[in-house]
Amino acid sequence: MKPSVLLLPILIPAIFGALMFILPRKARHTVAFLVAGINLALAIALFRNNLIYSFPWFAGKIEFALRLYQFSGFIMLSAAFFAFLIVIYSLNFMKGKNLQNQFYAYILLCIAMANGAVLADNLLLLLFFWEGLLLILFGFIAIGRPGAFKTATKAFIIVGISDLCMMIGIALTWMQAGTLTISKINLALTPMAGFAFIMLMIGAISKAGSMPFHSWIPDAADDAPLPFMAFLPASLEKLLGIYFLTRISLDMFKLAIGSWISILLMAIGAITIILAVMMALVQKDYKRLLSYHAISQVGYMILGIGTCVPVGIVGGLFHMINNALYKSGLFLTGGAVEKQTGTTDLHSLGGLRFKMPITCACFLITAASISGMPPFNGFFSKELIYDAALSRGMIFYLAAVVGSFFTAASFLKLGHAAFFGKERNELKAVKEAPLSLLVPMIVIALTCVIFGIFNYLPLNHFIQPVLGARLEGHSYAGFHVNIVLTLITILVLAGAFIHHIFMAKLKGEGLKAADDIRYAPVLSQTYDLAQKRFFDPYEIGLKGMNVFSRILWAADKGIDWVYNSFVPGVSYGVSKGIRRMHTGYYPVYISWALVGMFAVLYFLRK
Amino acid sequence: MVPLFVLIPFFSIIILNLFPKKLMQHLSFVWLGFLSLAQVYLVAARPVWFWDTKLELWNLLFSFRYSVDVITLVMLLCIGIVVFISLLASRAMISDVHQRVNFKNLLLVSLIGMNATVLVTDVFSLYVFIEITAVSSYIMIAMNKDRLGLEGAFKYLILSAIATVMMLVAISLLLLLTGNTSFEAVGAGLAGAGNSLFVRVSIGLFLCGLFIKSGLVPFHGWLPDAYSAAPAPASILLAGIVTKVSGVYVLMRLAISVFGLTPSVQALLMFIGAVSIIIGAVAALTQTDFKRMLAYSSISQIGYIILGVGCGTKLALIGAVFHLFNHAIFKSLLFVNAASVEKELGTTDMDKMGGLTQRMPVTGITSVIGLLSTAGIPPLSGFWSKFIIIIALWQAGNFGYAAFALLASIITLAYFLSMQRKVFFGKLRSGLENIKESSMGLIVSQAVLAIITLVVGLIFPLVISWR
Repeated sequence: MKPSVLLLPILIPAIFGALMFILPRKARHTVAFLVAGINLALAIALFRNNLIYSFPWFAGKIEFALRLYQFSGFIMLSAAFFAFLIVIYSLNFMKGKNLQNQFYAYILLCIAMANGAVLADNLLLLLFFWEGLLLILFGFIAIGRPGAFKTATKAFIIVGISDLCMMIGIALTWMQAGTLTISKINLALTPMAGFAFIMLMIGAISKAGSMPFHSWIPDAADDAPLPFMAFLPASLEKLLGIYFLTRISLDMFKLAIGSWISILLMAIGAITIILAVMMALVQKDYKRLLSYHAISQVGYMILGIGTCVPVGIVGGLFHMINNALYKSGLFLTGGAVEKQTGTTDLHSLGGLRFKMPITCACFLITAASISGMPPFNGFFSKELIYDAALSRGMIFYLAAVVGSFFTAASFLKLGHAAFFGKERNELKAVKEAPLSLLVPMIVIALTCVIFGIFNYLPLNHFIQPVLGARLEGHSYAGFHVNIVLTLITILVLAGAFIHHIFMAKLKGEGLKAADDIRYAPVLSQTYDLAQKRFFDPYEIGLKGMNVFSRILWAADKGIDWVYNSFVPGVSYGVSKGIRRMHTGYYPVYISWALVGMFAVLYFLRK
Repeated sequence: MVPLFVLIPFFSIIILNLFPKKLMQHLSFVWLGFLSLAQVYLVAARPVWFWDTKLELWNLLFSFRYSVDVITLVMLLCIGIVVFISLLASRAMISDVHQRVNFKNLLLVSLIGMNATVLVTDVFSLYVFIEITAVSSYIMIAMNKDRLGLEGAFKYLILSAIATVMMLVAISLLLLLTGNTSFEAVGAGLAGAGNSLFVRVSIGLFLCGLFIKSGLVPFHGWLPDAYSAAPAPASILLAGIVTKVSGVYVLMRLAISVFGLTPSVQALLMFIGAVSIIIGAVAALTQTDFKRMLAYSSISQIGYIILGVGCGTKLALIGAVFHLFNHAIFKSLLFVNAASVEKELGTTDMDKMGGLTQRMPVTGITSVIGLLSTAGIPPLSGFWSKFIIIIALWQAGNFGYAAFALLASIITLAYFLSMQRKVFFGKLRSGLENIKESSMGLIVSQAVLAIITLVVGLIFPLVISWR
């Protein structure tokens, strides 16, 4: 295989994505489907190859370097897999929606950018594709429902700022390593390099949607088209963000187990797990609830990678692919519900299990996976992360387990409210979703089962080769996990189930099963504030900017006053004074001239 | 044949007045027009037959020593242009036959005086010709015999008399000191005399006399009254060229080739220049009379020239001479604008005007060119000369003055824009519906001057390297 073949996965989707803007209405679906299929075929063909392709760029100053190896091939394959499924899903879902040409164009451009970012072996090249994704993100959200541009702006600013940090990180890394080629960088963790790492990490975890760069995701869940949620925040961005986080943690910087950065990463992970899942628990909207889980699950990955022990990293990466599967699957079920019932508000849903049995089954499988129920895939990856977290500190383990409890609780609530419970009269006419919506869901649900029961498939073929020699021949495939931890997990899940049953009985409604937590003494007020976006860093930033702009406004007024009032006022005042001095009385003029003469003579006296 | 610049106007006065007045007014118009345009041609093309032939017969009778350099040439060119414009304006503005004849005679006298002033090479002749020019100016200002004209002429007369006294005293002191009056001898004598009180007083007095003639602050008292009271063709001539020749040119000539630019003289000139710039500009801000505002603007622009002279580097002098030329053009242009408005409206009060561009398009548009050039907006000619002066000031290390000159341009723009808005732009003021564009003579002069401003600005490198 020629190395230049690496340009294809970037160029093909990019060209067709650009063409999508002008293609006739009828051809769009076909072309999008075909290009996504070609991309998947390419990714399959390229997987397991090792290729390096580069040529000088920017007047020879920067290498346009692409590198395909195990890890990038894996991410590219996963991205292509999800893109293909999402396109199939969209063929039906987007029918009759506005701005379809933009939607498909963004999907294809997104594939191109993601492939570019994954293949890039040069930090600046990576940044180029990374920023391309940022632009597409904006466009994607903006074509949602009317008013979505506000959310698009929010996402653009949040991700843009973190990308700016990443840019600084790249500059610092360049300065210290003397090269921009990713595969040649291997920095010891000096304070300066630590700073560079943090900056790069901000870019990575913000792409993945970790706290505190998360707040646009729930808003986007409300505003953006649903396939976008299933594609970008649920799968593609997790893949890219965690991919880059792993690259910088494993390859570019020598991250030791005891280092402060490791602690920092684990702390970010643990906090993200807990806070986001707490928010998810109290959501009353299908998509919004899922969006908080999309944030929460990132915490597990960051926690896993942050432990710096092989089992944690394997767990983190395994969780990354698992999360991409079940989270996009969950969003797709949400989309099916939205498509068939016209709403995602849990208050007006209920009893859909008979109306939409396949959707319900897919939901149950994916929900079980995300809750970490054995033998689904989420269970295995979470167990690996528990194992690693416990070895680094009880507190991290506790955070992960508590997160698991709330995850289970919130999905019990979601499932109960949407698919079980009483059947509503206004939902009598609801039918099962059409085939093109079902196929992607079924494929994903099946993959969740396969990745769980036959977990050696992903572990041996995709993930463990990434770490290579670090594993020292160890394999985590199969059911090898700690029995005690497994028992604890099962106990926790059972606890969540019992809690749900009990509370649902008490309140008489599945949707209110988490109300004891929602209205607990201290939490209640905190939740109120959080629902009002009091803790949203973006809102805080906006308030700060508001103060700042007021100060600037005042300064501007001051400057305006100087130019518009003060200077003209003084000039006119002086001018009038001078005018008054010119009385037209000639002796005055003569005396001026004489005084002037004496002044001149006095001046020339030396 | 250079003395012909003086002799032909002189004999023209005698011969033209032999004709009856009705014939003379037309004859003299044609003749003066020819004379002034011929002067422009002779300077611009510089035919060898004129400049290099000696007048043997004349030299037997008188010895008229003259010297010609670039500054002289520029001044002769300006004199030719402005006299021509003033002549056109007089045709349009003066209807009385006697007055026309009088004005043309005065114009010829003024031409003699100015041409001679820029050609002569000794201080006493200089004084004589300055006086000839001045006397013709007094009469021109007072020609209408109205109250304001007489008052303006009187103030000019009085202050000029003081200037005369100062200059005469200075000349006599110089004569005492050096025993001669020619530029070379006085210059050499002064250089040999050291820096005695005697020398300093004579230089100081001479400079003060010239400050009065140029109208620099605080010696400017006569200028606004004289400019605004004079009949339009006279004010064009006065503002455009008379004060430039009898004040600024002489100052430049003496400072460079006789007194020498000593540091104290330089400091004095730059200071006086800067004061004139700011006082003139600020005072112009609140004027309500069109011509009066232009008069204050003149003070301000002369300040720029003196600032350039005071700086004294080669570049600064080039800038000063260039600005002198530009000022002659654009200030004449603006005074012609004022004249044409005055002719149609019968007033120069800006508060009674408004929206005149609709009725007088040529006047309105050419005045924009004139004011933008004055304020130093590229690519018009005024920009380049101001720019050169500022660059020269900066290069010579006078950063404060350079910044000051730059900032003062803003005020220039401020008062001119408010003038333009009041007079020409906006809605036509009620009662002015029947106004028409003024007569052909004024339109032509406006167009010619505006084109000169524009073209000189566009081809300024050629103009700068002209010699």
